Amino acid sequence: MNARYGMVIDLDRCTGCGSCMVACAAENNVAPLPQASPRTGITPMLVRKVSNGMEGGAQREVFIPIMCMHCEHETPCVSVCPQQAVEVDKATGIVMQMPQRCLGCRYCMTACPYHARYFNWWDPAWPAGMEKSLNPGVAVRMRGVVEKCNMCHARLHSAMAKAAAAGKREIDPADYVPACVEACPTAAIRFGNLADQNDAVSHEAHSPDAFRLLARLDTEPKVYYKSKEAWVRALAESKSGPGSEVKHG
Amino acid sequence: MKLTRRDLLWGVAGTAGLLVTPVPWKLLDDVSIWSQNWPWIPQPAHGPVEVKQSFCTLCPNGCGMRVRMASGWPVGVAGVASHPISRGALCPLGFGVHQLNWHPRRLRTVRHGASSSSWEAAQVAFAKACSEGPIAIIDGYPGRAASSVFETFVQKRNGSYRTVSSPETLALAPYANWSGVPVAGLGYDLENAQTIVSFGAPLLDGWATPGRFTRLWAERAAGSKDPQLRLIQVEASLSRTAARAWQWVSVHAGSEAALAAGVARVLLEEHLVPARGPMPPMTLAEAAGQTGLSTGAIVDLARTMVARPPVVAIANGDNLAIAALNVVLGAAGARGGIVRKSKHTESYASADTGIDSARAVLIDASVPWDFVPPTNAEVFRFAAWDGGSSTADWLLPAPGFLEELTDVPTAPTSAIATYAVAPSLLKASPEVQSAAQFLSGIDPALMTMEKIIHARCADLFRGRAGTLQGQEATPVAKFASVQKLEEQLWKGAVWVDEPPRSTAFRCQLKEWPTTVSSAQALSSSSVNWSNAWRAPVLPPLASKLYQESSLREAPDRRNA
Repeated sequence: MNARYGMVIDLDRCTGCGSCMVACAAENNVAPLPQASPRTGITPMLVRKVSNGMEGGAQREVFIPIMCMHCEHETPCVSVCPQQAVEVDKATGIVMQMPQRCLGCRYCMTACPYHARYFNWWDPAWPAGMEKSLNPGVAVRMRGVVEKCNMCHARLHSAMAKAAAAGKREIDPADYVPACVEACPTAAIRFGNLADQNDAVSHEAHSPDAFRLLARLDTEPKVYYKSKEAWVRALAESKSGPGSEVKHG
Repeated sequence: MKLTRRDLLWGVAGTAGLLVTPVPWKLLDDVSIWSQNWPWIPQPAHGPVEVKQSFCTLCPNGCGMRVRMASGWPVGVAGVASHPISRGALCPLGFGVHQLNWHPRRLRTVRHGASSSSWEAAQVAFAKACSEGPIAIIDGYPGRAASSVFETFVQKRNGSYRTVSSPETLALAPYANWSGVPVAGLGYDLENAQTIVSFGAPLLDGWATPGRFTRLWAERAAGSKDPQLRLIQVEASLSRTAARAWQWVSVHAGSEAALAAGVARVLLEEHLVPARGPMPPMTLAEAAGQTGLSTGAIVDLARTMVARPPVVAIANGDNLAIAALNVVLGAAGARGGIVRKSKHTESYASADTGIDSARAVLIDASVPWDFVPPTNAEVFRFAAWDGGSSTADWLLPAPGFLEELTDVPTAPTSAIATYAVAPSLLKASPEVQSAAQFLSGIDPALMTMEKIIHARCADLFRGRAGTLQGQEATPVAKFASVQKLEEQLWKGAVWVDEPPRSTAFRCQLKEWPTTVSSAQALSSSSVNWSNAWRAPVLPPLASKLYQESSLREAPDRRNA
């Protein structure tokens, strides 16, 4: 496998419903944290609301789903991790977080320009009996480690196992769809192989309306956004852009 | 012992030598893995994984749902793309619904006032109330097999069967009053509309079946400057729907009726519609004064509305002026507007009136928790979760999510009749009972849910009309037996009726309505899926929406 998995998020389609946030948490066994705040919660997929700053009828808003951008080049979190707990998977391009290696120093959280990493402040806990509802494909992370979006890696494993059982080397793209993509009611989040020129997502990533957040940092994120609105595209390079409103940890 | 330079070098070399062996890394790895598996860290249950088709029955929209089960427990849900109405979408709360059965507020014991009681005591008390006077049963999800049990029970005892309306069904009430077609027989033909004017209805935020309009909007309108489907949102604030609408008309809060009157006056005076009346008594200047718009803006809005027909206006609640606007536009009883469904003819009385003389009131678990019956009667309330501050005399634990066999009738605003069966995927604990089971304990002659569902399947089979929509579409006429048809329904297929030959109905409206409806206040307050959520509690993962992010403000009446 030599893929570069990525996403294109059409902001003109996002209604800010939050389905992706809940579906992501359910898929990845993220604990509900009734004691948490936006500063201390764990939301690997986080939808932010951004306004154009105008008043009255001229006011416009857009919802921007933010997750790990899976930076390809000089990946900031990889270069600062003292434990080699973060790496870019050469076969898929997915930036992997290995909680077993993480010692919780949070250098990666500081380094991430998108604030897309979250620290486990508490032991993961569910109301009595609710552990039966956990996804068996994903291990629960403990207190004291950092976590983030891994593009539903468990689903990739399942797809690979299915392909292997069928004697195939390549997975069927339909078998590997992250939970947020599956949950989006307007198909605003699209997922595919950016390295495959025949993939529709690869085409969309190169459309004139597509952009990447903080592209000037040259980290080559694999999450692209799209909008026909000029003020929305201008957010991409804003110094107080959508990723900088809430800091974690 | 003196430390020499040689000792130091030996130490450095030894450490370096140890590091190149796997020993320290293996130790580090083992310690890490060990520390990931403290006994108090929950571990997911491992076992055979299977996917079952079902339906979300926590509100009357009945979205199709794929439930992933591991070791017999639901571990994840997703939408069903082949579902003809929800089309693969769920509301955000739906994605955490499989965890609801373990919510700390789950009801497991019968409560009488502030103390624990028993099912036997509750049955004796309800049977005694039935013998002493009329009873009323309130249903929040009419049309189900359970509803049939309720209706039969009250008919035998000269009681009353009442239902609780949602803002979506309230918006259809004026047409029912003016045409005689029951609300349950009406729906919106959104798929054929070209222009939709929403007066505060949260069309992109959970209105009716969440997936129906969002999918339609995503396909025909999203991101286009000149979309096939024009969505115009009239609302005081920039809601989620307004933010994504083709045009947002910002008006003063509560002035939607005035705007509807102003637009209707322009349409009639400029002969933009075939109708000749009724003419609103409000002048254009008065409408402009109330809405905060200029008269020119109202004229422009009226012209824009009819520029690309069919056009339909959608109210957020029972707003007579907006319903009258639809009559002027010709959207009542027309393609792309409000249409008559093929099947439903039942008319349900509202629970807001007519139960004050009842000796006892039984409230089904499908009724929204914040509904308080306007009566001093003894109240028997079924609920799977305790939403707090209950005023009911008896609080009776009901089956939770997927713990009860039920059928799924047509969604309230759908333009076409559907039917599905949601089998019980989980075994309910012995301490819970549904209202239908409770009534059967008092009156054993009542039909069981299985028999009613079987009878309904037999009716569908005999009708030979419509299609069974599962992995593939199969006309009902092609089924060899009712058993085959029922088998497919139990596996998650949805029966979809044939499009009716005539969807028209006629509204008798001679004068512009001036009566202000009691529910009109709804039009100025946003109602979305979290308000429409009928379970008394939210899934625990709703904390991601309401608390761990700044995405939404927490609904104060809920207990996430």
